[in-house]
Amino acid sequence: MAKIRITLNKEKRRLDVETNETLLEVLRDKLGMKSPKCGCDRGDCGSCAVLLSGKSVRSCLILAIECDGVEITTLEGISQDGMNKLQEAFIEFSSFQCGYCAPGVIISATELLKANPHPSLDEIKEALSGNLCRCTGYTPIFDAILAATKKEK
Amino acid sequence: MAIAHEYEYFAPASLFEATQILSQFGKKAAPLAGGTDLIVFIKEGMITPAAVIDLKRVKDLKALEIKAEGLFLGANTTFSDLVNSQIIKREYRLLWESAHSVASVGIRNRATVVGNICSAIPSMDAAPALLCYDAVVHLISLGSEREVPIQQWFVAPRKTLRKPDEIVAGISLKKPADKHAGIYLKLGRYKGEDLAQAGLGILVTEKWEYRLAFCAVAPIPARASSIEGLLFGKKLNPELILQVQNLIPTEIAPINDIRSSARYRTHICKVMMQRGLPAAVDRLNGVEIDNTGILGG
Amino acid sequence: MDYKYIGKSVPRIDGKEKVSGAAIFGDDIDFGANLLYAEIISSTKAHALIKSIDTSRAEKLEGVVKVFTGKDFPFKFGLYMKDRYVFAQDRVRFVGEQVAAVVARTPQIAKRAALLIEIEYEALPVVLDQMDALKDGAVLLHPDLADYPHVPWFFPKEKTNIAHWRKTRKGDLEKGFADADVILEETYEVPRYAHCAIETHVAIGKYDLSGRLTVWSSSQSPHTQRHLFAEALAPLGLTHKDVRVIAPHVGGGFGGKAGVTMEIIPAALATKLKGYAVKLRWTREQEFVNTYQRLGVVAKLKIGVKNDGTITALDHKIYWDAGAYVEYGANVVNAVGLSAIGPYRIPNVSIDSVCVYTNLPPGGAYRGFGYSEMLFGLESLITTVANKIGMDEIAFRRHNAILEGDTTAYGVKMNPNGLLEAIDKVKKAIDWDKKLVSKDPTKALGKGFSLFWKAPAMPPNASSSAFLKFNEDASINLIISGMDIGQGYQTVMAQIAAEILSVPPDKIRVETPDTDRNPYEWQTVASHITWSSGNAVKKAAIDAREQIFALVHRVFNLPIDELFLEDEAVKCNTDKSFNLPLRSFIVEGIATKDGTYKGGPINGRGMFMPEYSSAAGDPETSQGGHPNVHYTVGAGALILEIDKETGKMKVLKVAEAIDAGKAINPDLIKGQITGGLLQGLATVLYEDMRYDKHGRLLNPNFTDYKIPTSMDVPDEIIPIIVEVPQPDGPFGARGIGEHTMLPAAPMIANAVFDALGIRIRQMPITAEKVALAILDKGGKTDG
Repeated sequence: MAKIRITLNKEKRRLDVETNETLLEVLRDKLGMKSPKCGCDRGDCGSCAVLLSGKSVRSCLILAIECDGVEITTLEGISQDGMNKLQEAFIEFSSFQCGYCAPGVIISATELLKANPHPSLDEIKEALSGNLCRCTGYTPIFDAILAATKKEK
Repeated sequence: MAIAHEYEYFAPASLFEATQILSQFGKKAAPLAGGTDLIVFIKEGMITPAAVIDLKRVKDLKALEIKAEGLFLGANTTFSDLVNSQIIKREYRLLWESAHSVASVGIRNRATVVGNICSAIPSMDAAPALLCYDAVVHLISLGSEREVPIQQWFVAPRKTLRKPDEIVAGISLKKPADKHAGIYLKLGRYKGEDLAQAGLGILVTEKWEYRLAFCAVAPIPARASSIEGLLFGKKLNPELILQVQNLIPTEIAPINDIRSSARYRTHICKVMMQRGLPAAVDRLNGVEIDNTGILGG
Repeated sequence: MDYKYIGKSVPRIDGKEKVSGAAIFGDDIDFGANLLYAEIISSTKAHALIKSIDTSRAEKLEGVVKVFTGKDFPFKFGLYMKDRYVFAQDRVRFVGEQVAAVVARTPQIAKRAALLIEIEYEALPVVLDQMDALKDGAVLLHPDLADYPHVPWFFPKEKTNIAHWRKTRKGDLEKGFADADVILEETYEVPRYAHCAIETHVAIGKYDLSGRLTVWSSSQSPHTQRHLFAEALAPLGLTHKDVRVIAPHVGGGFGGKAGVTMEIIPAALATKLKGYAVKLRWTREQEFVNTYQRLGVVAKLKIGVKNDGTITALDHKIYWDAGAYVEYGANVVNAVGLSAIGPYRIPNVSIDSVCVYTNLPPGGAYRGFGYSEMLFGLESLITTVANKIGMDEIAFRRHNAILEGDTTAYGVKMNPNGLLEAIDKVKKAIDWDKKLVSKDPTKALGKGFSLFWKAPAMPPNASSSAFLKFNEDASINLIISGMDIGQGYQTVMAQIAAEILSVPPDKIRVETPDTDRNPYEWQTVASHITWSSGNAVKKAAIDAREQIFALVHRVFNLPIDELFLEDEAVKCNTDKSFNLPLRSFIVEGIATKDGTYKGGPINGRGMFMPEYSSAAGDPETSQGGHPNVHYTVGAGALILEIDKETGKMKVLKVAEAIDAGKAINPDLIKGQITGGLLQGLATVLYEDMRYDKHGRLLNPNFTDYKIPTSMDVPDEIIPIIVEVPQPDGPFGARGIGEHTMLPAAPMIANAVFDALGIRIRQMPITAEKVALAILDKGGKTDG
């Protein structure tokens, strides 16, 4: 058991973690953040994606104890001030169906748009290639991201 | 999936401290950088370390250094560090393309090149590029340092020359002295994230020196030395490519596994040579080529 | 007919929840400090007797609450046939079968303890292939098969591995083949597939101190689960009233969360741990090996055709690898055994659909319910036979297409349908007659076509019901028990209620179900929910409307027949000035001059059961019943680019037309087409489950079971909606969810043939398989 400090969705938090707890487990079970989901537990599906210092990572492949002093953003943090343009576009284009992969997809898309506010279709596909979605066939997700970037203009 | 195994966690701040802990735990220590392989290995019970040594806070372990004559990929250099560097993209295209073909953004943001060569999975994308650039692996242990050429580094699937008490501080690689161009070809089961069924790195210089290295078609990634010998000093022509293709079966040792049959791997290596060699030469001549479409998507 | 909300692509009503991270899935529910975690110890053998189980070391570990084995739960369960056990009893029948469980304070401790359990097996012969399992002398998986209870429309053969044999006979097969000018016989094979919902199965059982069992479950079938839990656990004194299933949002179903699989485990464990909540979440590997899988198929087809293109006879024998337990999977076999003529008018038919036990994981529902597997062979053969007689394959399909009033293989008239329109629209969209030549000499281009059809596979009495509750502001709670597994069910049901009651869909709240509070729904399967639950919702809305009109008539003495609802108000044709907003009375009643109030809260109820449906066909011919309520039909075509050396394939363009009867929400249907097509294309291009000779799955993860990524989508998708109304559908609607993936495999197979002249009869059709087939045909660079 060790004490770590993190900044989670802009709030400073202190907590005790075991050395073998993953960030995903700690976010969900100790910090109440349920948007990162467990889908494969080995980095293949992307549904546990969160932003670590602005970069998307697989929280199932990171030990919580590695995150001492780190800034973490989950979809809960992104949603605190209401729906942003990207989220609105996701609703407009029905870019999700069951919704289980949606938090991870939005995290990846958020990272993409921050670095590249007007990505091409190929860049969007590339940025999302680590987020498996079994329902939508992805095309509605591309449509939403493209539409959101147009609105940003 | 919870991690059932219990271990001590260390996050040393200095290399001295890190090597000390490593020498103390020896085989029971697991150095941790990106963790994208390591955490899976621990979760699935493939390894049961007594100590996990997180190297990300070691100040002396550098990240990416770009110099005039070459690169130093410090232990904490991630694949995203390479992918996001315009200089790497321009001047080390083969390395850039191999980094770009590793998994997906969320993995590349965390996974390190050094970690990749330490896991030493036969399909590792980083190996062909490092082999073509004659990379050197820098190892540090308590009180000693050594260098190992990448050609000797891989011993067997998941086995390298790293001793249990050694940390890989980084990998250095040099640009060939002459004008050159490179390309990475990877065959996956589809365009999205996949382990290579076969991978081929090609580096060609204006003096017609060819460096070729495979992954996923032998127990360890390796240079194709007999083909390099055949090609040395020669300009490409269809007859020569045919000779190269005929050498493929002696140059590789593919297996049948879940990802591919040996027969298909052999066939694909021939196609890779047929398409990849001219593409590399085209690049040498300044032609823009997208490597991802060469094998048909 | 002009509708205000029907036929409109209104935004999904679950949108904000799902894109904000607010949506709660099973694993997201907090249970507080008394939550326990279960870890399952699975069989490592495909077929073996259990000699002993030593749990003593596990029990001693601190934090372990209890360890359970089969002897703690000697209960059987099953939806259509009771052949499964909560835990393995005396024997195991597949690798991955649940043998024991550890329940502990943390997942870590549970997993550690599980490693300490020692099980001794005595190996039995293993049979992994259905054709081997059919041979004389094959080891029997279920020696007591004759004693298993099952639905009356199953016909197991005792002392064999045949769990069910659906026979359909029509006309005179011999005469049909005698009349044919061309007869073709071919064999097709389809491997097993995994659903790969991104959310793995999760269920939490809680048996409270008063003896009530609640199960929170990621489910397509909360009421069916309650029923099966209550039945299986009846020996403990539980009745339906004592069992409650709460189904939060589901992270994908595709048939995999229909019926009961692993959910029975935490339900049962909880009954021995009063007062605790017990959670079981499958790992991705367990999800691959111990939930339903899509059944494997060997199909032997023989077709007779006249030179003018008329099909005279079809003999279709389908042997299903149904796995170790067939309680759900046998109904897949049954459904296809009735429908294996495809959407064709064929006078002389023989279908044998045989459900075979093997030592592989249980087969069960998977989007398409067997029709994808059946159509791979049939639609490949249709193209082949059309080519053989020199007829354009689309013209051939059109010539034989089943139309309204034609008879199905089991003698029931075909429902109204837009099959010809679908064929013509797809043909046009894909520019079928245009000859394609690749500009790149290393590439070949091919076109592939396929028709499809599918009926909901349901017991004849599968039903739906709905409650509808008005709130003070005239917003509505629609209380129903279908699951929004992503298809948009909640939104579509809201649109139906909205249309009848003139309340906008975004003022209608639909919650996920709780069997204590929501009325009965059979299951969210079979693509029947838009049609069946839609009918129930429509009736509930009409019921509410009738109450409203009766009240207004009573208070204002306006003629009921002249009243109508518009813009959330009651209006009257004969008194244009009358405008009574719903919110003014819908809960609080209508104030009258004497200070009294009339009326009160308006609550509607509705239910639907297809009372014409019957499974009582003759066992030898299937004639005489009415087993299917209707078919949804459609057509698809694609253009495929193939690299002639690497075998890599790219779908340049794909068009799919589907007859939705009435598209209640066109965008949602297009979303189903886009998503379903990709799932279908993946089964033919990338996916398959691979087993070693011991019955162990070799690819139980996404590293080696390749479901498509964002980079693996077709370049262009053209979704086409056809609308020939279903007479008993809500506003004419039928289901389309599963159908969207049905044509994918034969389209690819036919396109590969068109491009290369190579006919591949075993799925999947991977790049490797294509490349090697080209080499076998004389391509270069082999060896």
